[in-house]
Amino acid sequence: MVTRSKQLIVVSLVIGLAAFAGCAKRPATTAASAPAPTGAATTTGGTGAAVTPPPAATPPPAPPTAAPAARPSPKEFTAIPELKPIYFDFDKYDIRPADAKVLDANATWLKSNAQQLVLIEGHCDERGTNEYNLALGERRAKSTMNYLVSQGVQASRITIISYGEERPVCTQHNEECWSKNRRAQFLVKPR
Amino acid sequence: MTRAHAVAALAVAITFALLFSLGRPVVLRAQGVDVFLNVTGGGTKKLNIAVPEFTVVAGADTAGAGKQLAAVTGDDLTFSQLFAVVAGTGSIPANNPAALKQSWTDFAAAGAHAGLHGLLSFRGDRTEAEMRLYDLTTPEQRLIASKKFEMPAAQARRLAHKIADEIVLQFTGEPGVADTKVAYVSGKVGAKEILMSDYDGQSPTPVTRNGSINLMPMWSPDARSLAYTSFAQGYPDLYRAFPFERRAPQTLAAFIGINSSPGWSPDGKSLAMTLSKDGNPEIYVLTVATGTLKRLTRHAGIDTEPTWSPSGREIAFISDRGGPPHVFVMDAEGANVRPLTSGGRHTQPRWSPKGDVVVYTMRQGTHDIWAVNADGSNPRRLTQGPTDNQGSTWAPNGRHLMFQSNRSGTWQIYSMLADGSAQTPVTRGTLESTSPSWSPRLP
Repeated sequence: MVTRSKQLIVVSLVIGLAAFAGCAKRPATTAASAPAPTGAATTTGGTGAAVTPPPAATPPPAPPTAAPAARPSPKEFTAIPELKPIYFDFDKYDIRPADAKVLDANATWLKSNAQQLVLIEGHCDERGTNEYNLALGERRAKSTMNYLVSQGVQASRITIISYGEERPVCTQHNEECWSKNRRAQFLVKPR
Repeated sequence: MTRAHAVAALAVAITFALLFSLGRPVVLRAQGVDVFLNVTGGGTKKLNIAVPEFTVVAGADTAGAGKQLAAVTGDDLTFSQLFAVVAGTGSIPANNPAALKQSWTDFAAAGAHAGLHGLLSFRGDRTEAEMRLYDLTTPEQRLIASKKFEMPAAQARRLAHKIADEIVLQFTGEPGVADTKVAYVSGKVGAKEILMSDYDGQSPTPVTRNGSINLMPMWSPDARSLAYTSFAQGYPDLYRAFPFERRAPQTLAAFIGINSSPGWSPDGKSLAMTLSKDGNPEIYVLTVATGTLKRLTRHAGIDTEPTWSPSGREIAFISDRGGPPHVFVMDAEGANVRPLTSGGRHTQPRWSPKGDVVVYTMRQGTHDIWAVNADGSNPRRLTQGPTDNQGSTWAPNGRHLMFQSNRSGTWQIYSMLADGSAQTPVTRGTLESTSPSWSPRLP
């Protein structure tokens, strides 16, 4: 071990001295200053701390705004007792047989209330991760929509939205609660 | 060991770190004290540095900045896990070489290998800080480097971060990560806003203030903007905020369905994202300047969470095409999809800045953070329960990660070294803090 250490030091010294020759003796003196904030926002939060602005960026080109196709605002929809929610197994988006019966009843109501548009919300429990749950909630809303369409509800009457895990109906951390949150629920508004 | 050897030894330590900044611990002996710089892992010996109060050389220090900036610099150096802050008590009088020499001699006797002398100048609304870094392992007390930084007075804290980053640069060949921000989601059920703070959780400021649900911030590679998902218009749409500018958020994608999970290309020109406008969650790439959209995945399952390799040639993402979600990799054009992980349930992949590793979240009852080599080899666990640890984000140097954990009873953000060691709280409070995104180094 002693011999090994000595060898390491000797080899290191050679490398170190070679690499540092000419630069180790003189201090490197450089100056750098952050540019002044140029018209930057000084948003202050609850802490009163100032935002630290880097220099203003050159303005990027026109925003590539994706013009939304007609999307009714979710706020215009309201829940009604006639349309019952359905529930899902953990990490699943297929319709369970008992829930298919609920959907059959929902489809019947929707067909006999043809003036109503329907919003299907897909939800997840808090487990899993945000991004995946947003996708999973979307799949739950989508399979629910597909089932209703297969039962004769016009697809054009249906809008879907995923809230992922962001809108739980129950906030305790146990399976009883989680099973209530893994759901698709229905809201309506007149055409 | 002679003094001449000791001089060379510190130089060697620095040089070794410069030459082998990706792995080799450096063990040397200087005046009977191990000088040990290990830039990858924790649990090893550190370089002892004395950080006395900064000396005011111009203007009046009305707010105690001399003391505060020394403390912040010390905290930053401690955070790097490369340094132990020792012995630097008191302040050193200005323009007094004898007093300076005596302080260094005292600090060296107390175990310091290096000394930082900070000099502060207050000039109206600007503050200047000069860093002078000394080698205390030799009687010459050699000046290793000096550098000046200037900031608006209101951002004086960044001067400490910049000095700490410069010291890390001097000893490892790569700047530290103290002059960075972390953006994260804060709030409660149904009301979540995006905030950003210094990397150490200090100086939190709002990024969004729309009263809606805002999720998944992701810093752009130039550290000037953040892509995020917001329900501000009722549906999950993708926006871009400019937190340092007086400028409204830009809508990036507002198609029918979900618009989420932004992943910036390394050059910042493109943004990979998840859209379900064509039927189910698929990955697309938006060319930001033109608005051109290209679809990358085509599968009936869920494809989401794209993360680019730093080369820009590949994108990792998650898919449930094989059953539970796993991490897959594809070429940046969408071809050649292959699995990176198998077994378990894996989400939240984040490609490391060096390109060698992908971290992800594994669910086994609870969630923990794992890492796998970019070739799929050596999957390894970084966190060990007992509660959930998830949602990791890399420091720009690839040495540290931040993540969210509910170990305290509420979700808060923590940091750790990339090997899972040195776990430290970043946020504290009663509100939840989740989904951290660690910024690149600030411009």
